[in-house]
Amino acid sequence: MPVAAVQRLERWAAGWARRRQGADPLAVILKRRRIYILPTAFGASFGAMVLAMLLASLNYGANLGFALTFLLAGLGLVAMHHCHNNLLGTRLRFIGAAPVFAEQVAEFRIAVENTSATLRCEIELAHEQIVSEPVDVPAGGAETVRVAVPTRRRGWARLDRFAVQARYPARLFRAWTWVHMDARCLVYPRPAPPGRPLPQSSGSGAAGRQSRGDSDFSGLRSAVPGDPPQRIAWKAYARSEVLLLKEFAGGDSEPCMLDWDSLSELDAEARLSQLARWCLEAAAESRPFGLRLPGRTIALGTGEPHLSACLEALALHPTAQ
Amino acid sequence: MKAASASADHDAERLLWVAAIVLAASLPHLLGMPVWVPAFLIGTMALRIASALRGWRAPGRPLRLLLAFAAFCGVLARYRTINGIEAGSALLVVMMGLKFLESRNHRDQLVLIMLSYFLMFASLLSERSPLTIVYCLVLVWLTTVSLLHLGRVGRKGDGRATAKLASRLLLQSTPIMVLLFLLFPRLPEPLWAIQSDASGATSGLSEQMSPGDIASLKLSDAIAFRVEFDGRVPNERELYWRGPVMNAFNGRTWRMAPAARRAPQATIEYLGEQFDYRVMLEPSGHNWAFALDLPKSWSGPRHLRMNGDYQLGLSFAGPPLPRYDYRATSYTRYLAREPLADTQQRMLTRLPAGSSPRTRALVATWLADDPSPRQIVARAMDYLRSQPFYYTLTPRTLRDEPVDEFLFDTREGFCEHYASAFAVMMRAAGLPARVVTGYQGGERNRLSNYYIVRQSDAHAWTEVWIEDEGWTRVDPVTAISPGRVTQDAWRTSFGDQAAAGAGVSVRVPWLSNARLLLDAGYFYWNSWVMGYGPEVQSALLDRLGLHDTLGGHASTLLLLVVAVTIAASIALSLYLAWRYRRKPGIDAAARQFAAFARRLARQRVLPPSPSEGPIAYAARARRLLPRAAAEIDAIVALYLRARYEPDADRSILAQLRARVAAFSPARA
Repeated sequence: MPVAAVQRLERWAAGWARRRQGADPLAVILKRRRIYILPTAFGASFGAMVLAMLLASLNYGANLGFALTFLLAGLGLVAMHHCHNNLLGTRLRFIGAAPVFAEQVAEFRIAVENTSATLRCEIELAHEQIVSEPVDVPAGGAETVRVAVPTRRRGWARLDRFAVQARYPARLFRAWTWVHMDARCLVYPRPAPPGRPLPQSSGSGAAGRQSRGDSDFSGLRSAVPGDPPQRIAWKAYARSEVLLLKEFAGGDSEPCMLDWDSLSELDAEARLSQLARWCLEAAAESRPFGLRLPGRTIALGTGEPHLSACLEALALHPTAQ
Repeated sequence: MKAASASADHDAERLLWVAAIVLAASLPHLLGMPVWVPAFLIGTMALRIASALRGWRAPGRPLRLLLAFAAFCGVLARYRTINGIEAGSALLVVMMGLKFLESRNHRDQLVLIMLSYFLMFASLLSERSPLTIVYCLVLVWLTTVSLLHLGRVGRKGDGRATAKLASRLLLQSTPIMVLLFLLFPRLPEPLWAIQSDASGATSGLSEQMSPGDIASLKLSDAIAFRVEFDGRVPNERELYWRGPVMNAFNGRTWRMAPAARRAPQATIEYLGEQFDYRVMLEPSGHNWAFALDLPKSWSGPRHLRMNGDYQLGLSFAGPPLPRYDYRATSYTRYLAREPLADTQQRMLTRLPAGSSPRTRALVATWLADDPSPRQIVARAMDYLRSQPFYYTLTPRTLRDEPVDEFLFDTREGFCEHYASAFAVMMRAAGLPARVVTGYQGGERNRLSNYYIVRQSDAHAWTEVWIEDEGWTRVDPVTAISPGRVTQDAWRTSFGDQAAAGAGVSVRVPWLSNARLLLDAGYFYWNSWVMGYGPEVQSALLDRLGLHDTLGGHASTLLLLVVAVTIAASIALSLYLAWRYRRKPGIDAAARQFAAFARRLARQRVLPPSPSEGPIAYAARARRLLPRAAAEIDAIVALYLRARYEPDADRSILAQLRARVAAFSPARA
């Protein structure tokens, strides 16, 4: 069957399930009625083999052949029930999603909790074609699974639908259900390419900026695209594979106001991108900065929460018209 | 680099495991196959594993295609077909070798494991030795373990848990297997022609009989068939199990003449008591069936018919069925007054011209005295009785005139000699006569109510056609020693030679009992598992009272199969739901904590709200009950350890339980 047809069928089935199940809260326990199950391709070939065995047994009147055939048929049936039960009573809870910049991949963290008495095996979360690593959840335990969703534009990225699935045991069947949570992830505007210098508020910047790089090391923050590579903490990266940026407590902290109106030659989205870039640069230099948007002004400030607030304001800035 | 080699090792380990399973599954086949097939299988596997270990490049597509073509031609050349169990298995084995060679990922390995089931299945189609069954049982379990292990997505579970899971799944599917086995409708005949594979084990009886040839009689303890009587059992002297009938004699050899006619059953008059029984035939390589002389009605495979010589058999022209069971009703007394046509009369009295002159001369003197058929029979029996005839299994060989030499010179032989000579005497007197082969007697299993008829019970006797009486059975061997036909005398007469040959003495009572017990087990296994067919199934349905509910048996059975499968499915699902729903054991600690909170609530400490963790709750309680603070802290600390520490053991839970039980905030 052509792949496109399969995908269309699956999308139709998912839409049907959405109408049938309704929207889910941010934490949902999987009940029997919403767990769907179908044989996998491997399971179908297993079934075909059992059918061939049945025909041969009938033909040869071989009772031992019948015995093995029916044992395997029983095995398939039992596996189907185990597969279906494997998802029952699983609780899915949306933990959160760290904000990302547009065109990055948003990672929705979902807690897979086992409220039953037995080990739950090989539970995967899938969104579109991306399937997470399978997790085994012991009785009463919980595991966090990340569902990756590529983002396109700023604003809220929604995880409108994802599938919880398991092919345990032996990949003969795939049991799954669709979950429709109102899980959201904030998407900041994509920072414009670096180049445009930070606006100088009172003309005395050049002297002060000399001493910026040599100032005392004050900490690390997570790196974002466009950060100067010479300030990436490579040693920390080697340890933890997380890109971190070294921050320095600047002796000079000349405040600057980042103004929407100063970028009149750009269109609205480009302005937001440029403002996001400036916010990052100012924060990297530990300069106090403020943001002035049409209808909203954020006062001067420093630090991670301030940066987040500014970027959020940019992300949620209403589009023109 | 290190990681890569580790993964290669892992890959090779998995491949080795799959190779072991495939080899084990093909072992029952490999024993009977041309040597190149196992060599091919092992070669392809070794090549693949070596390439995984050494990091060689996998063989390319052209080489694989060439190998596939060569293997296919090899199988075709050896078996002349790719159909049938043996050729099909050989083809499957070589194709699995090729699949192994090109296996790249988990999926391919899973397919190989799955096909191992099919290999096992193919060996079960033709094999029936208990050893193979036990072997396959173990192998099914191992294969299931491998299927679960290789079928795991992501992190591999530990081996012991997988083995346990395999046992559980197989145990849970066993009831389904049993129900389907009992209820699934069976076909009375094959869907398509079965290829004849082996020549089959030839037994004591054959299509011809040359009493001069000693080697042709080989006594063995092998079992010919088993018989279970429904009600009364005939006298052991009357247990003549009728088999192939020899009509044509060339002076030395008796042969079965083609008897295509249907039995003239209408002319048979059955007398006396009727006996109902079920026969479970061991594979013989023939399509004969044996019945107590003389059967009136029978049921079993659809093609079971009685031919013109009153012999039961499968009438389809094809290779022998491996095993079949049937029921029959017989009367040991009967009058078979079949009118003989002239051609038949001539055929049944024919002797080669000029053969057995001395016999003819002897018979001529009897005819001169009294030509009545009864008198001739009596004179012939008298002759055997009065002259020094011996019963032996090692008679001297007979040369040019076997019958004359036996009757006048050697005077020693076994049943075939006597039956043959007697029939010749009758024919010399102008009486239609033929030799009937079959079995006589049988060993009753004292521990269970059925008879075992062995190849050593093979027998031959004579039938003489007498005007007004029809076909009359005459067993000339009874003339030798009056007690010979009773079971014990018969055994004794054979005893020494048979025991010497088989190396088994049956004189030790407990040993003989153990043997009978073993045979009883085998009997029930055969009659309920191996011999379970349409007949037994119908009987089972009748016993369940489901015979007439619907049209035919098959549709009733199909409906039952569907109903039972659904019922089993529901039962299984309920069982699993019950198993999986039980409250987790980890809550023992939580229950203690709840009890602790109830005690505090009596002291006006509100129970913890859903959003309040145990530490915050403890802090609140400590503020309200400062005097119990130390105790509260200790209990909460224990609770946190019992609940959240991964390696918390039972002693911590016990401490928690003791502390909570002793906790009384009022006194503190």
